Amino acid sequence: MVPRRLSMSMLFAALMLLGAAGVPVDADAQSSDDPSPHSEAALVSDVSAIAPGEPFTVALRLRMEKGWHSYWKNPGDSGEPTSVDWAVPEGFAVGDIQWPYPHRVPFGPMTSYGYSDEVVLPFTVTPPETLAPGSRVTLKGEANWLICADICLPAKADVQTTLSVAEAPRPSPEASVIAKAESKQPRSVDGWTVQAARSSGSYTLALTSPAGHEPSLKGAYFFPAQEEVLDHAAPQPVSRADDTHLITLQQSSYAEEPSDSLRGVVVAPDGETWDAAGEVRALRVNVPVDSTLSGIDVASMTAASTGGNGLSLPWALAFAFAGGLLLNLMPCVFPVISVKILGFAEQAEEEERTIRTHGTLFGVGVLVSMWVLAGILLAVRAAGSQVGWGFQLQSPTFIALMALLFFGIGLNLLGLFEVGTRLMSWGGRLQTQTSSDGRLGAFLTGVLATVVATPCTAPFMGAALGVALTLSTTGALLIFTSLGVGMAAPYVGLSMAPRLLKALPKPGAWMESLKQFFAFPMFATAIWLVWVFGQQTGNGGVALLLFGLLLLGMAGWVVHRWSASTLSQPLTVVTRGLVTLMVVGAVAAGVIGAGYDRPATASSSDSSSAASSEQWTPFSPQTVQEFRAEGRPVFVDFTAAWCLTCQVNERTVLNTDAVQSAFRKRNVALVKADWTNRDPQITKALESHGRSGVPVYVLYPGDGSGPTLLPEVLTQDIVLNALEKLPSSS
Amino acid sequence: MNTFCRTSLTFAFALLLLTVAPLTVSAQKAEVGEQAPNFTLPDTEGEKHSLAQYEGKYVVLEWLNFGCPFVGKHYGSGNMQKLQETYTDKGVVWLSIVSSAEGKQGYYPPKEMKAQKKKHNGNMTAILMDPAGEVGRTYGAKVTPHMYVISPEGELLYKGGIDDKPTTDEADIKGAKNYVRNALNQAMNGKEVDPNTAQPYGCTVKYASSM
Repeated sequence: MVPRRLSMSMLFAALMLLGAAGVPVDADAQSSDDPSPHSEAALVSDVSAIAPGEPFTVALRLRMEKGWHSYWKNPGDSGEPTSVDWAVPEGFAVGDIQWPYPHRVPFGPMTSYGYSDEVVLPFTVTPPETLAPGSRVTLKGEANWLICADICLPAKADVQTTLSVAEAPRPSPEASVIAKAESKQPRSVDGWTVQAARSSGSYTLALTSPAGHEPSLKGAYFFPAQEEVLDHAAPQPVSRADDTHLITLQQSSYAEEPSDSLRGVVVAPDGETWDAAGEVRALRVNVPVDSTLSGIDVASMTAASTGGNGLSLPWALAFAFAGGLLLNLMPCVFPVISVKILGFAEQAEEEERTIRTHGTLFGVGVLVSMWVLAGILLAVRAAGSQVGWGFQLQSPTFIALMALLFFGIGLNLLGLFEVGTRLMSWGGRLQTQTSSDGRLGAFLTGVLATVVATPCTAPFMGAALGVALTLSTTGALLIFTSLGVGMAAPYVGLSMAPRLLKALPKPGAWMESLKQFFAFPMFATAIWLVWVFGQQTGNGGVALLLFGLLLLGMAGWVVHRWSASTLSQPLTVVTRGLVTLMVVGAVAAGVIGAGYDRPATASSSDSSSAASSEQWTPFSPQTVQEFRAEGRPVFVDFTAAWCLTCQVNERTVLNTDAVQSAFRKRNVALVKADWTNRDPQITKALESHGRSGVPVYVLYPGDGSGPTLLPEVLTQDIVLNALEKLPSSS
Repeated sequence: MNTFCRTSLTFAFALLLLTVAPLTVSAQKAEVGEQAPNFTLPDTEGEKHSLAQYEGKYVVLEWLNFGCPFVGKHYGSGNMQKLQETYTDKGVVWLSIVSSAEGKQGYYPPKEMKAQKKKHNGNMTAILMDPAGEVGRTYGAKVTPHMYVISPEGELLYKGGIDDKPTTDEADIKGAKNYVRNALNQAMNGKEVDPNTAQPYGCTVKYASSM
């Protein structure tokens, strides 16, 4: 042990030297002659004299070299928790390790939970009552732990401490070490409510703060004490609804079955604490997993309960909710609000409880119809899944149809044509008929509200539809639910407080203006889609798609110019037939345009000029292999036209002069893997890097060693630093 | 009301999702109950082995790193070799895959790997070299040892830990429930494999480019 008892600074210096020289630490040599490599263990006690029958604390203090770590009670994806086998005198009782909260140790696609630098693991020891003051006792134990950096080594040490027995306990000089460790112990904090729920593949932890102390928990992290419950490497997005924070947790793919409880520790982000006094950073959690979270808003709840999409889905749901709310301001819906609510009021004869019931039933009606719509959508999608749905954006046909859809929606919002005026009046009639039917009536009114709103819903539904098609089943269902909740919210809200009705603005021309204004974002989306389409198909395709849009515009004009009420029967048939033909023609033009293959060289018009600074070679595994064989570093840019992050990275980082000249200076071969269209070779290459989508940036050093993956969001510094680290031999 | 704000939000929403959605398309992964992804890797002799060529036989995949103490537990005690012998005798193909990148722990050039196999008295059918980590990532191998059992029809029957005692202590092998033995025996007797997954334990696989 003696030679290793270097001062920390010497140790540090030695390690710096090792690191600088790039000398790999030889595991075998170290483990053979040193039972506790890269770390050392000692026993500390908070008292130097113990009293009979009075519990005290001893702790295993592990000091680890920089870069090495040991493990928590749940080691995460790899590792083994530290343990101590005690040999204590007769009559002594030693409790379990009181684990301080750990930190995350990420390694490649894996995440472990452990400790670095130093950890103090306390045990409570209870001596027997019969102890004689004046004697001495020795506590011994064999500590076993795993010490890991890139590699792992088992370590063990015999530890002991000798304490005197006195009438009253006397604190030891090491008491402060243990007191400091105490502050890292997870605790329960009064006032916090913790609940847990589960939905397919994920758990949600809901933490409701007490009044008066509402820390920001963005970046909080839940360390599960159970091993087979959660995916340790999955991100844990935190969202917030009022005073409730929701942490989304991914279920482990190794879980035999879902857990019925969640145990562990939630660690607050840096600078935040769970208690007002600022002392507790780690909150102890042990809650049953329940499907219902009482007192928590359902919409925001569902927003957080699907994992997989990381942060995007909660946002999407928030926008869908806003979209639903917005629907109520549309001319087709708004005027009926007051009628409906007044209807409730009438039939209930001012009895507020009945109004509330009816309001709720109305909301349920809206939701159910939304779900029916979602069901239809999912059925359609299921039919498409056999042909490999999920790559829709790589399908120019899909892009073309989306462009037509968004353009059509824009025209509709501008008022070029009306959809479903008849539907609206039909719905209105039914509404008046059913309003006297009590509860069923209230529910049906909800269904009808959705039907009546359909003409205006269509634009929003269009956006939701496009989005939902690209999402998982759960995601799609949630989008529609959120839209429905948003739409029903004002009705339900008003039924709860009918007096608020008077405060509503009167319907009027402003609504029409608002509706028309919404046409422009739709057109903008269409422009973006046409641009993507152009990347996929080239000029000819774009011309055909634009022709399709023209036909669609004409169809709208015909409908508007010769509206059904002003025409004779035969003329109606003729014009409507014409309209149908034009719409079919528009779709056909888009689909045919999608069939235009992009010319092989169209991807980079600048590839002809060999002197161009942006010299990207198209990807193939052989190309990369050849460059590597030449001993050149290779940078592969996995990108796609429909990937905004990729475009941003290329414009703001990769194609800048600074980065380009750094590439040139180091003779880096630039390879572009364009995934805009389906390409099995690129898909396979992505998978080999453990990725399933773009952007991915891969940098191979010139010396033949393994590649480095850069983050998905690049900065110039990231790229320049990565280049800096390349071996300079080439 | 702030219409501009809401408008831009709605627009951003549509745009954002159209952009982000394709990033979440999941890769081909090894899932229990589904077809195990095919692969081709060279062994220490340079001979190629692909999963497809072993159709009709049970295949065990073992992620291997001789420098890892958890692997050491099962090789030092002879447990792994015995398991390999028992089942290769019954016609099972046992492929030990090394996904350690060149220069990282567990990687040896083919010749030295051959010597390692001899040194450890390995009874596996072959040790396969996967320094790029391609096969390891496809299978989602996280640790050494990480075990997979594949049916003669190519279906993944089991993935996870070798047994239920996640320690480095050789003494724990006795009394541990060996999930690989369990899965092979159940499958060979025409029974459902239960459990068909278990938490894998061990050292992290030393992949290239640990970001």
